[in-house]
Amino acid sequence: MHDMVCRVLRIRPELAIMLLRRGVFTPEEKAEFLQSLPKGSTLFSAPSLGAVQFATMLAQGDTHLAARAVLRNCIRPNELEWLYRLLRFQKPSDKRDELTRAVERALEGRKGNVRKSK
Amino acid sequence: MSESLSETSKPSELINSVVKNLCALAARAWAKRWIITFTAPTGVGKTTAVDYAERTLGFDHQVIRCKQITTRYTLLQTLALAPGEKWTTHGRNWMRASDLYGRAIERIRQRPYLLIIDESDRLRLDCFEILRDFWDDAKLPMLLVGNEVLTEKLNRQHERLFRRIRIRFEQRPLREADLRKVLEFMGYAIADDEFTLLWKLVGGSPGFAEALLENANEIAASQGAKRGIEALEGALRYFPTLRAAA
Repeated sequence: MHDMVCRVLRIRPELAIMLLRRGVFTPEEKAEFLQSLPKGSTLFSAPSLGAVQFATMLAQGDTHLAARAVLRNCIRPNELEWLYRLLRFQKPSDKRDELTRAVERALEGRKGNVRKSK
Repeated sequence: MSESLSETSKPSELINSVVKNLCALAARAWAKRWIITFTAPTGVGKTTAVDYAERTLGFDHQVIRCKQITTRYTLLQTLALAPGEKWTTHGRNWMRASDLYGRAIERIRQRPYLLIIDESDRLRLDCFEILRDFWDDAKLPMLLVGNEVLTEKLNRQHERLFRRIRIRFEQRPLREADLRKVLEFMGYAIADDEFTLLWKLVGGSPGFAEALLENANEIAASQGAKRGIEALEGALRYFPTLRAAA
């Protein structure tokens, strides 16, 4: 199973469906994710989230998923601004800092991530 | 006519204790040529206060807002180059960091100003060293604004700069009445039970309160209802740390 599929199965269903709708996943990941859902899943009936709700869930959820959503330009500017603010409320950690940097670059209109020299 | 206008017009600024303290410290740092730190928890309104100070201070000042990666080069560029001036990083006119430093020092000596650094807790070690050099060489007064991490960071890693700081000001979170005033100023009509819950959860942090209220607004809107205590409690599920506190 793809790593991203494992991650998306662990997050809140409302967020998972939002990310799916925004096109965060590759076709293979999407197919695998849909296959892994139980029959009669109510996932697709989950209501659409507002900008702040979406940003809050991204900030609180899986950092890898949030980073991919940011880097693939799947997040609207107002959602990015909220995500940036909410990330700053959290305790500092390397993962959070990397995501914050990605959000900053997205807000500046730049693409891609910053590679650190190791 | 004038009465009705004064009744309906809303003040464009709310000067709360955070803004007052920050502006007072900025004035003091400038008058005495001191380095001062201003620390407060996240969401209290430091950046809003810095924005206000930037617009209103009556003496020369420059504000730097730190990003995740603020290097000593970006710091030097900001202080040494005029607005719009480019830093040629290649070719015959290549400029080294030491050249930039020299230019920055010259600018400060010719026309001193107060340097305000917002979110300075995000600065790296070499940036703090540069700031110390600026103070040593040109007596550049500074107001370093940040959260609790700033004090810890300076205390542990930057003893030489720490010893040069004259005032270490810790801003307390807003009081209950102040928080209510700020939220009302931001345009939130809050019932008493909602405010009681908010106060219990976020204390004096309007930033956090705003995030909770906006989430509650969206939850209520998705249900076609007006925001109430249920929506606010519903919003809490997005903030596991606050839920644990509640």
